[in-house]
Amino acid sequence: MNGESAGGRPTRPRPGVRTWAVVGVIVAYTVFAGRQVDFDLSTFWNVWSNPLWEKFWPVPWDWVLDRHNVLDPLVETFQIAVVATLVGCGLALPLAFTMSPLTSPNRPTLVVSRSVMNVVRAVPDLFWAKLLVTAVGIGAFAGSWALSVFSLAVMVKLFSETVDGADPRPLEAARASGGRHLAVVRTGVLPTVLPEYVAYALYVFELNIRASVVLGLVGAGGIGRVIEAQRQYFRFDRVLGILMLVLVVVFVIEQVSVAIRRRLV
Amino acid sequence: MIRFDDVSVTYRGGVRALRNVDLRIDDGEFVVVVGLSGAGKSTLLRALNGLVPATSGSITIDGTEVVGAGSAELRTIRSRIGMIFQTFNLVNRTSVLNNVLMGRLASVPAWRSTIGLWPAPDREIAMQALERVGIVEKAYVRAANLSGGQQQRVGIARALAQEPSVMLADEPVAALDPVTSRQVMGDLRRINRELGITTLVNLHFLDLAREFGRRLVGLRDGEVVFDGDISDVTDETFRNIYGRAITDDDLLAVDGEPSE
Repeated sequence: MNGESAGGRPTRPRPGVRTWAVVGVIVAYTVFAGRQVDFDLSTFWNVWSNPLWEKFWPVPWDWVLDRHNVLDPLVETFQIAVVATLVGCGLALPLAFTMSPLTSPNRPTLVVSRSVMNVVRAVPDLFWAKLLVTAVGIGAFAGSWALSVFSLAVMVKLFSETVDGADPRPLEAARASGGRHLAVVRTGVLPTVLPEYVAYALYVFELNIRASVVLGLVGAGGIGRVIEAQRQYFRFDRVLGILMLVLVVVFVIEQVSVAIRRRLV
Repeated sequence: MIRFDDVSVTYRGGVRALRNVDLRIDDGEFVVVVGLSGAGKSTLLRALNGLVPATSGSITIDGTEVVGAGSAELRTIRSRIGMIFQTFNLVNRTSVLNNVLMGRLASVPAWRSTIGLWPAPDREIAMQALERVGIVEKAYVRAANLSGGQQQRVGIARALAQEPSVMLADEPVAALDPVTSRQVMGDLRRINRELGITTLVNLHFLDLAREFGRRLVGLRDGEVVFDGDISDVTDETFRNIYGRAITDDDLLAVDGEPSE
């Protein structure tokens, strides 16, 4: 059996009782939770027979393709995403370095920056948007701010793990040459993590394009606000046209971003 | 002159890596340090440039105390000590020249190195360092694209770019093949002779130690158990340092012929 030595082939280990027990518990709890929230697959079919769906067709392309109605707000969404990505990822770069034990200048900085980021992350992005809309008024400005905070949170989460896992050996070499902390991190660590940084920034940009559509729903500017307005008038034909356009834009941006990221890492 | 006076290093967790080490090393010496893994060779070198803080005792370089030095003092001390590593420790994703320029960090304002605006005289020093190890033609090649021996030469050039008075080499050939190992050791000895840089090399191949060392320091369990001229070293000496009989694994034995 297991303890056998000298050449005998071992028997293939079988999934133990424990594995089955875990799977059983997960299935049982899912069924229980579904009952609790009245989850029912049959209601799903009732949704399709709702007369609401007839309002989605035909798409009024004249209205959708009119610059003022859709294209301008769509460009605004794009611009919000660009600004938010640059601001958020720009701030995330130094922050991520202060948050890693490897590259933080000292322990107090490490503790403070980690605590601040935990607070920022604990607040949902939609709540940030609501908060900022209340603070600075409805519009793209609030949206840019909310998304910047969102980008910062996501970017720090992703990138600081890369920094944590950076090769400590060039860092040691740089330190041994007698450089200042900033110069040591800049020359010994940054070049090793820069491709991942750019790749993550592009990924955050993709997220921002989609998120800025959602943020518009709470009044933070961009195409989301137009979708929300048309939904309130029950103009689902227009909504469908807008969504198709958004789909095309998101798809194109993601393809470009994925292509660049693949070359980087 | 380098002085270790009653130096001990205890790591967090209680491991005593160095015990009451006393050493005097004159300017321009070429010292080979041998010992088993864990005997304290790396700690000895890293205590000298403060990468590992000594727990007690005194380490001085030309009269400057390393133990307990503040961060600014430590940077000055480190800038005069070049270091070469077993795994080369290059930044693979950047050019050879950028790697060598890392040796100029202490002499260049942080804002300049941060945006990569290295002063012309520092670039010249880096180029000359590359010329000295014979790979200046690779200056703009990415470090990752070099062979192991070439990468270690970049490591040496990086240390030389500091214009150091002391050179520390921590197992510089452990990751290299036998032929390249001897070339790299030859480079280190030539630099020691031509520039008069005091050199400490950790080795675990005994024949390499015999061939290139002039003075041998043997460490066992963090203690100096041998310190003397290489010509006085016998197999019995090595047995004492290693605490066991010498095997073929302790020899590099290039081309199958053991040296002497």
